[in-house]
Amino acid sequence: MIYLIALAAVVIYVVATYNDLVSLKARIAASIQEIGNQLKRQVELIPNLEASVKGYLKHEKDILKMLAEARKMKDPSKKVAELLPKLQVVVESNPQLKGAEVVSNLMNELRDTSDKVMYSRRTLIDLSADYNIKVTTFPTNLIAGAFGFKSEKGFAVSEEDKETPKVSF
Amino acid sequence: MINVFESVESNKHKSWLVVAGFVGFVLAASYLMARGMAAYYGYESTGLEFLGLGLVISGVMSFASYYFSDRVVLGISGATPANRKKDFLFYTVAENMALAAGMPVPKLYKIDDTAMNAFATGRDPQHAAICATTGLLTKLNRTELEGVIGHEMSHIANYDTRLMSIVTILVGLLDLLGDWLLRSTFWGRRSRDDEDKSSGGLFLVLGLFMAVISPVIAQIIQLAISRRREFLADASSVKLTRQPSGLISALKKLGADKEPLEASNRATAHLYIVDPFKGLAKLFNTHPSLTERIKALESMA
Repeated sequence: MIYLIALAAVVIYVVATYNDLVSLKARIAASIQEIGNQLKRQVELIPNLEASVKGYLKHEKDILKMLAEARKMKDPSKKVAELLPKLQVVVESNPQLKGAEVVSNLMNELRDTSDKVMYSRRTLIDLSADYNIKVTTFPTNLIAGAFGFKSEKGFAVSEEDKETPKVSF
Repeated sequence: MINVFESVESNKHKSWLVVAGFVGFVLAASYLMARGMAAYYGYESTGLEFLGLGLVISGVMSFASYYFSDRVVLGISGATPANRKKDFLFYTVAENMALAAGMPVPKLYKIDDTAMNAFATGRDPQHAAICATTGLLTKLNRTELEGVIGHEMSHIANYDTRLMSIVTILVGLLDLLGDWLLRSTFWGRRSRDDEDKSSGGLFLVLGLFMAVISPVIAQIIQLAISRRREFLADASSVKLTRQPSGLISALKKLGADKEPLEASNRATAHLYIVDPFKGLAKLFNTHPSLTERIKALESMA
């Protein structure tokens, strides 16, 4: 009777550990997909953001340029008359020029998207570490060995990615 | 200096030790009170039916607050849903922390109050909500907010609402048993305890003693569990962000903010990231002191 209970306990342990390792592997695979997913989001997001910010900034630059030209003229009234309808449209749709806010929103979006990629990599790193610990530590390594589970390499950074980017203004 | 994984593990162990001590205490106290009642009624009853009845009543009373915790608490606190456009920082930080914790993004709410605070609630990660005050959202930068949201996210991932509900049920059980025993000996008939007179008397005395002191002791242990879970959530938050400095600086800002939160009350105090009342004896606090928490975080930094 005791042997039977001991045997049952061992079988339950082996099955549980096997299932654990299999589900960890599945979650590692899913986390790699998640990294791809976040990278794709970034790829789609950045050009759109860039285009909309550029569009806005150009529009603002044009207004400022026209105003500067008007200031330089000896008799600006003619230019102002030409400029006024345009300015009115601008003022109506934009109570104040808000280039700074648009750029700061862009920076926030950029930080967020790179954070998302970083955190999805983090998930892969943590899951691989959990899995590798199970594969190599006793007694789970016996079961991992018996069923041919191998260590995962996790996330690797290429040499060129390790260089600190230089910032110049 | 310990790394963040060791810190999370050691906090988990300490927390389970306190919980195990609590369960042991509840078992011993309710056993003694049940025996006391049995002795009082002259062994017509074993006292166990009182135990069962107490558990059912206490369970039913706490179940609704557990099961509907996300809706009830948000209703009390007067919170409104947050959206991505208006609360970009809050929304995206919560998305990223959920990504790091490997769980769905909780429902996000904000309370319109200039005091700085935040809380998490919900019975499991699928029915969870995180709520922050507008004061917190405007005064913290992104790194600090990640620390705070990571802390709340960890409460959800560690099933703290579930744990505290079970603890509340057990504290309620001791309250009920103690109350019944005191009332029945005060008003009730004295039985003919013909058999086993001396041990019956002993259990009655022990039971009465427990009836008086166990609700107080149980509450003190409940608060100790709550404080342990705060340390665990701090450590788990650092495990998500890997930047203890963010949470440290957020806690310092929260500590410097002396404004009390109008939307909180006794019933919801234990939920918040910092005690919304501030001050009170250490033993009766739902949260460890900020200096202790900052010290624990700095040991990981």
